[in-house]
Amino acid sequence: MPSDIYLAKRRAVLLQAAAKVGHSVTSILDPDRLLEQVVDIICDEFGFYYAGIFLIEGLGDEPSDFSSGLGSTKPKSAVLRAGRGEAGAAMIAEGYKLEVNGRSMIGAATGMGSAIIALDVGEEPVHFKNPHLPDTRSEMALPLMVGDADGGVRIIGALTVQSVEEAAFSDDDITALQAMADQVAIAINNARLYAQNRQLLARAERRTQLLAAAAEVGRETASILDLDELLSSMVDIICEAYGFYYAGVFLVDEAASGEAGCQWAVLRAGRGEAGAAMVAEGHKLEIGGHSMIGAAAGMQGALIALDVGEQPEHFKNPHLPDTRSEMALPLVVGGDLIGAVTVQSTEEAAFDDDDITSLQAMADHLAVAIRNAQLLQELETAHAELLRTKTYEAIATATLEAIHWIGNKALPISAGVERLTQDLGRLPRSEPGYLASMHEDLEMIADSAALIVSVQEHLIGPAREEQPRPAMVEDVVRDAAVAAVIPAEMISYTVAPDLPLVRADTTQLSRAFGYVLQNAVEAVEDADERHIAVEVAPVGDFVAVRIADTGPGIPEEDLDKIWAAFYTTKGVQHAGLGLSAALQVLKQLDGQIVAANVPDGGAVFEVLLPIHDDPLPDAALPSKKKILLIDDDDAWSRFAMAALKGAGNKVTRSADGRVDLKPFDLILMDGVLEHADSRAVLEQVVDESAGAKTLMVASGLRVEDAMQMIQLGAKDVVLKPYTAAALAEIVE
Amino acid sequence: MSDEIRILLVDDEELVLRSMEKTLLRAGFDVETAGSASVGLALFKEALSSEAPFDIAILDLNMPGLDGADDANAGLELLSELRKIDAALPVVILTAFDEVARAKEAVVRGARAYFVKGREAGLVELVNDIIAG
Repeated sequence: MPSDIYLAKRRAVLLQAAAKVGHSVTSILDPDRLLEQVVDIICDEFGFYYAGIFLIEGLGDEPSDFSSGLGSTKPKSAVLRAGRGEAGAAMIAEGYKLEVNGRSMIGAATGMGSAIIALDVGEEPVHFKNPHLPDTRSEMALPLMVGDADGGVRIIGALTVQSVEEAAFSDDDITALQAMADQVAIAINNARLYAQNRQLLARAERRTQLLAAAAEVGRETASILDLDELLSSMVDIICEAYGFYYAGVFLVDEAASGEAGCQWAVLRAGRGEAGAAMVAEGHKLEIGGHSMIGAAAGMQGALIALDVGEQPEHFKNPHLPDTRSEMALPLVVGGDLIGAVTVQSTEEAAFDDDDITSLQAMADHLAVAIRNAQLLQELETAHAELLRTKTYEAIATATLEAIHWIGNKALPISAGVERLTQDLGRLPRSEPGYLASMHEDLEMIADSAALIVSVQEHLIGPAREEQPRPAMVEDVVRDAAVAAVIPAEMISYTVAPDLPLVRADTTQLSRAFGYVLQNAVEAVEDADERHIAVEVAPVGDFVAVRIADTGPGIPEEDLDKIWAAFYTTKGVQHAGLGLSAALQVLKQLDGQIVAANVPDGGAVFEVLLPIHDDPLPDAALPSKKKILLIDDDDAWSRFAMAALKGAGNKVTRSADGRVDLKPFDLILMDGVLEHADSRAVLEQVVDESAGAKTLMVASGLRVEDAMQMIQLGAKDVVLKPYTAAALAEIVE
Repeated sequence: MSDEIRILLVDDEELVLRSMEKTLLRAGFDVETAGSASVGLALFKEALSSEAPFDIAILDLNMPGLDGADDANAGLELLSELRKIDAALPVVILTAFDEVARAKEAVVRGARAYFVKGREAGLVELVNDIIAG
């Protein structure tokens, strides 16, 4: 029986040990260090061979649990968080845990909140024989409890101490150990609270940082109004503000969309080489499809992948192999989806749900900036178009009035001359000298009047009735050559493949080509070799039409003067107005015309026309119709055939219309045919009662020709359509 | 009642009116002139009611309209009004507007032909064709 002194000494030692533990634990704020130290101190001070600390799971000391619910319906477990020696380390590595209220001493201690002692573990029914600790003979399990805010008590875990001796614990031990356990509990709780606070603080700091970064991105992008510049700098701004390794911006692209309901988001900017490569490839993702961008855009909500290996929607991009986490954010303005942004990190779990708010704020800023830049672009295009239209209209109004005036003043002159000539014929022939003189006077008046009218025609030109539109320049020049009655063997064409459309008023343009070709014809009249070579090819932002002749060329000193009105080397019958008129037309079409001499002899005129590079509107061509094209096999008939066939129509071509016309729903006839007379062909068509379904198309419209065709019986005469949309309009 | 062909000529340019009148008179037609669309319409209705109706009308386009104001479409409006009264009336437009769109509009409204002043040769021949056919 231990003596009283021994007992008193022992008690003192215990209290001292307890105090030491208490002292140590209150100064350690790092929860993991705390637990390790506690088990070591306990074993060292009390001489136990093993001590371990279990903490009940889900009470706030693990990293945030993203799986839902710390539901009270799940049975709680007490997880071993510190254990002495190799045995302890091994059990922690296994994730050793015991069920609260389960059949173990720890289970009982954590369930009931009271100490459990087994003085001879062989005897104790609740003793769980732990294979890691075979030498245990006595064990004590002490609950770790703290007071909570309501004044009650909360069990946060339990402490186990184990001895190799039986009956190693006395009542004194229990008291001292429980007191110490209480202090440990408090210390653990404090450490937890401290850690939580730090976490909350870190969170708050992070949120502030993210919002600051969002504001920075917003600020920097709001001032960039050029859309391309905005997109390219946006990804750099984002990555620098947030420290991401990649950011990419996708915009909804209507043009890339196919059948209704299938929309695409096209990558417009991406950070670094990977981004540049993907933009160059035309990388795009289907909205509503199986990619993060696609899904985020489709549902207009942010998506996070914390470990891209796991996420079903993650599209593994070969250009970005280092991505471990990704967030996709929709870009929405005023309820409209305009695109989506992807930000990617090389770290796993780089974002959490809190980050969504601040990153979405950034995305919203971006959406507004992009929308502003897009609107500005649209405004600039519309403004340029308006300016073009207004300029055209202003010219048209001025010319209309001039034409009107001249026409009205010229008519009485020619009519009067006509009458006077008749009257002269009725006068007695007694004064042949006077008569001859009067006839001559009348001739001069008639010629002058004709010249005045031709000024109206050439210098001022017929009123512009069409805005410049997309046109196939090779077709316009060919038609002009046929209209100028240039024999086929005298003219040759070299046309580059895949010519872009030009922007031109084709009625004016065909007049201009007419003047140049007429000039060429006259130049070769007396030449040994009579040839005109036409070359059409793109040059920079223009299409160039070169018309070269084998004539004598233009005298060097005249090269500048040929463009002046009324300059002519061709004798008194010529007004010398053609080239001047051609120059005027080209200027009005934002084009150019220059003349030069060819080294081998002859002159060459080069006409430059601006390429039409605005996007072409969609065409709603009808389908299932039987259509006849009466035209030669040329660029226009090939285009019309392809467009109409592509829309699902049955199309036949005939160079002279000598086919059975009855089966066709519609006949499109070129007003200029190379191997037939279009008037005669139309008469034939009308004879076969097909006039009402025949549309004449011409690159240039003139009142007399149009009236003639309509009076012969054509349904209508219209400008030749050079785009699918223009074709759709006339076929309606 | 003479069986001369009666032509109504409407134009606000005096010289044009006088010149065309002289030419048509020489060709053997009976000609009445008007300097505006409203006067032209009034003359037409009057002729109808006095049983000496016009056989052909030759109209300018740009002149004082039916409401009195100068209007580029005055002639087209007059054309429609005349055709409402007499659906078989041959109407020829003689105008300084060298525009295909206006020519088509005139045809849609029932004009037989569209001549541009300065290139009006053939007008008298056409009138003769209309009378003959």
